[in-house]
Amino acid sequence: MNTLAETTLAAPPSSRFGAFALVFGVAFAVLYVVCDLAALPLFTYHPGTDRIDPGYAPARRDEGPAMYWYGWLASSALGATLLGVLAALLPEKLRAKIPLALAWMVPIALLPVLLYSLKFYWRW
Amino acid sequence: MDVVFDYISVNTFWSILFIVHALLAVALLGALTHQAAAVLARPRAGASGFVTRFRSVSAPAYATAICVLWVCAFVLGGWIYAKYRIYVRIPIEQEGLFKTLGAFELKEHLTTIGLGLLPVYWHFWKNARNAAYDSARKWLTVVLAVICWYAFLAGHVVNNVRGFGL
Repeated sequence: MNTLAETTLAAPPSSRFGAFALVFGVAFAVLYVVCDLAALPLFTYHPGTDRIDPGYAPARRDEGPAMYWYGWLASSALGATLLGVLAALLPEKLRAKIPLALAWMVPIALLPVLLYSLKFYWRW
Repeated sequence: MDVVFDYISVNTFWSILFIVHALLAVALLGALTHQAAAVLARPRAGASGFVTRFRSVSAPAYATAICVLWVCAFVLGGWIYAKYRIYVRIPIEQEGLFKTLGAFELKEHLTTIGLGLLPVYWHFWKNARNAAYDSARKWLTVVLAVICWYAFLAGHVVNNVRGFGL
């Protein structure tokens, strides 16, 4: 049976996966909002015709709307994976300095930005 | 896909998909609410009653199930989303219900951010005995529970607005 000290130290906050997961989550959230605000999808999906265009593409005449959400998801996942891997490669001393609270503070901080980005819909 | 449509109509197919999506959301909502209640208010020894029993769950045991449910509900929602864009959103736009659409857009953004946070959430809970994670684990769980509640209610409202199987 493990002692309390052993279990407490079983997985230090500076583990490589922990650093990857933390930076991935935070970066994914930030990059997703940036991709939304700056219109940076990796690709554009046209659901009416099942067409996929690389990058940002406006809706085509008589082909229905264009969807960017899938492209934002892909862009932010790609960027967050790269940053997460970089964080995992950092020396342990630096990994340990990444604040764990970012995991829940960043989504809360991004909420007003998201609400503002949707201002078109809040018309009265 | 054409094989499926030999047996059921296109509307029935998407309705089944939507119902499964909604059922996964209900399961996720229940699991996350139990877990959030457990981390926010640990039960006192000897206390009894509904509220105490509600929060007296083994919170770490829920973590993997919550991640799987979130991913499954998200994938199904993402699949349905393309149909929503054409057959649900456009009629709602034509009715001028922009706040409803905005609420749904916010749901889309928040659940996506929640998806990205699942690896760190899982990591925190897999190391539930690590005291260093206690505060971050607690508040991240609460944030995910709030997102889940919001997503559930926004989705429910849109479904009520547009109706079912139309």
